[in-house]
Amino acid sequence: MSEPTRGPADQPDTGGPTRAPRRLSPLTPLVRGGILLLAMVATSWDDLLAGRLGPVGLTLLGVLVVGGVIGYASWLRTKYWIEADELRIDTGVISHQSRQIRIDRLQGIDIVQPFVARLFGLAELRMDTAGGDREGSLAFLPLAEAQRLRQTLLAKRDAVRRADPTDDGSRAEGPSPPRGWSRDWAPPDHDIAVLGLRTLVLSVVFSPTTVALLVGGAFFGWIFAHNGVVMVAPGLPVVAGFVLLQVRRLSAYYGFTVSRTSAGLQVRRGLLERSSQTIALARVQGVVITEPWMWRPWGWARLDVSIAGYGSGGESEGGPSASTVMPVAARVVVLRLAQDLLRGEDAGGDDGDDDGKVEVDPDVVRTSPPPDRARWLEPVGRRFLGAGLGADVAVAREGRFTRRTHVVRHARVQSLRLAQGPLQRALGLADVHLDSPPGPVHVRFRHRAADDARVLLDQEQLLARAARSARAVRAAR
Amino acid sequence: MRSRVPVGSGGGYAPGTVEPASVDDVFTPPEGAWERVSPALSRLRRTLLAGVGLVMLAVLVLVSLLVPLPGLLVAGAGVTVVAVVVLGWVAVGRSVRRWGYLERDQDLYITRGAWFRRLVVVPYGRMQYVDVQAGPLDRAFGIAEIRLHTASPGTSAHLPGLPAAEAARLRDRLTSLGEAQAAGL
Repeated sequence: MSEPTRGPADQPDTGGPTRAPRRLSPLTPLVRGGILLLAMVATSWDDLLAGRLGPVGLTLLGVLVVGGVIGYASWLRTKYWIEADELRIDTGVISHQSRQIRIDRLQGIDIVQPFVARLFGLAELRMDTAGGDREGSLAFLPLAEAQRLRQTLLAKRDAVRRADPTDDGSRAEGPSPPRGWSRDWAPPDHDIAVLGLRTLVLSVVFSPTTVALLVGGAFFGWIFAHNGVVMVAPGLPVVAGFVLLQVRRLSAYYGFTVSRTSAGLQVRRGLLERSSQTIALARVQGVVITEPWMWRPWGWARLDVSIAGYGSGGESEGGPSASTVMPVAARVVVLRLAQDLLRGEDAGGDDGDDDGKVEVDPDVVRTSPPPDRARWLEPVGRRFLGAGLGADVAVAREGRFTRRTHVVRHARVQSLRLAQGPLQRALGLADVHLDSPPGPVHVRFRHRAADDARVLLDQEQLLARAARSARAVRAAR
Repeated sequence: MRSRVPVGSGGGYAPGTVEPASVDDVFTPPEGAWERVSPALSRLRRTLLAGVGLVMLAVLVLVSLLVPLPGLLVAGAGVTVVAVVVLGWVAVGRSVRRWGYLERDQDLYITRGAWFRRLVVVPYGRMQYVDVQAGPLDRAFGIAEIRLHTASPGTSAHLPGLPAAEAARLRDRLTSLGEAQAAGL
């Protein structure tokens, strides 16, 4: 891709702010309209072959022309530049909008490449600010320019934050990362985990969805053999849906790579649509390690993370989610990633020395199951429930078939709850919940002996209090 | 509002003795005794309950006058309404007596529930904002509800039935403590 804009092409990558307004890639309207173009060609294929346009084709052509004009005008009016400590984006054909994004408020910058954009070597830059919702987006830029702009913005953000640590921008999102955090945090763009194709395919094949598919396929096959196609037809969309789900998972997780950058952990993934997402370590609330029973022969696990502002994630709707840091990997790899995420801003460097070592390995924390009488309420999974408080983390285990290990740092716990229903009271049991911001992680100690539950609550309360004040002291230094 | 009401039928401790002895003691305060909510809350809830019961009885009487119904059915329905109101009356008393809170130096403890018991610990530094709500009925009884929000939707920390002045005082205190100890996410 050639440089589309006449901006100073030979300016240095970082430090040199893009003062002059720049435009997006001139191919933007084409990429945006790409879907329509495909639709037009697909629907009026027969007519096109015959050398004429059918009514559908004509309508679409009209839409395309109008869309093209609007798209071109919109491209013409969209400009972005860096001004002082702000990124400004001007848009709007009829009513003008000017958006200012404070660079020091930027939490993460993701690069996303939808399929059509990828064909043209373009990428979308998504800005993630402290508010939590994704407010700023630049679509589309040439990939190289997107990466350069991202680096520039991140570098500038770090510079601004370092220069003015008491700035209120850092207060809005909690204590700012300690000094030296970005410096010490490993060399930039160093891959630490790459998901192989074989592992991915196997992990997708060995999943409950596949079992459902096989059972469903066998069932419909049997019906087909006896009753013919009429009885099978209603079931086909369901089967197709399952297949599609698996294909989507494969395509979304293809080439999954986790790397260390100065801004945190970067996750890149996708076959048709490449996306790149940076997890700011200061925003990690907790992690959950999932081990489905079908993966156990290989010792595989997946890792999800709760990030402040990302909202509830998880694979509940079947699709891949932004909270996934590693869809499948050897348990050792997952554990190492989990520790990187949990250790977060305490990672290495001069700050770690006087605070002592942060112990965030969930396997080090001893967990104990609830008492025998809990089987009346949890007959299957009782033995697999576990609760444990470590020096720096709280760990909860659950699940007979799919084992989940929820881990949070004491310093991240929002509030604590002790809950007891009437049945639990009859049995002398109680639950303890450690509340976190919305996300896949939910540490709860279920069906503990009542007095034990209260002890857990009191201890966690003390640990969380100590961790909070330690963090406050560190942030103030 | 510094009266210390002992726990009702459900609990078993007297103020001052805080030694864990029975299963019920799981919901004791960490120190001292719970501040209880205003008895006006049970008056409000009982008034509502009685009002709804009376309306239902009135409807029942009206229907039985207009439409010929078997006497047994009408009597049965009437008895059911009365029984529900009586049971509700007792339940309101039990539940309101179990609401309690305790302000500590860094966190607020809230307990509630006679049937489903809860104990919530909210550190002041984690509070995002504090709401005070008082509907027209609440105002008629001179009470208000206070609601604490953290970054977690699971926190569910609220306190109904605070005397209006106490609710305002608590809100101001919580807000200032929250600012002083803010820990963010």
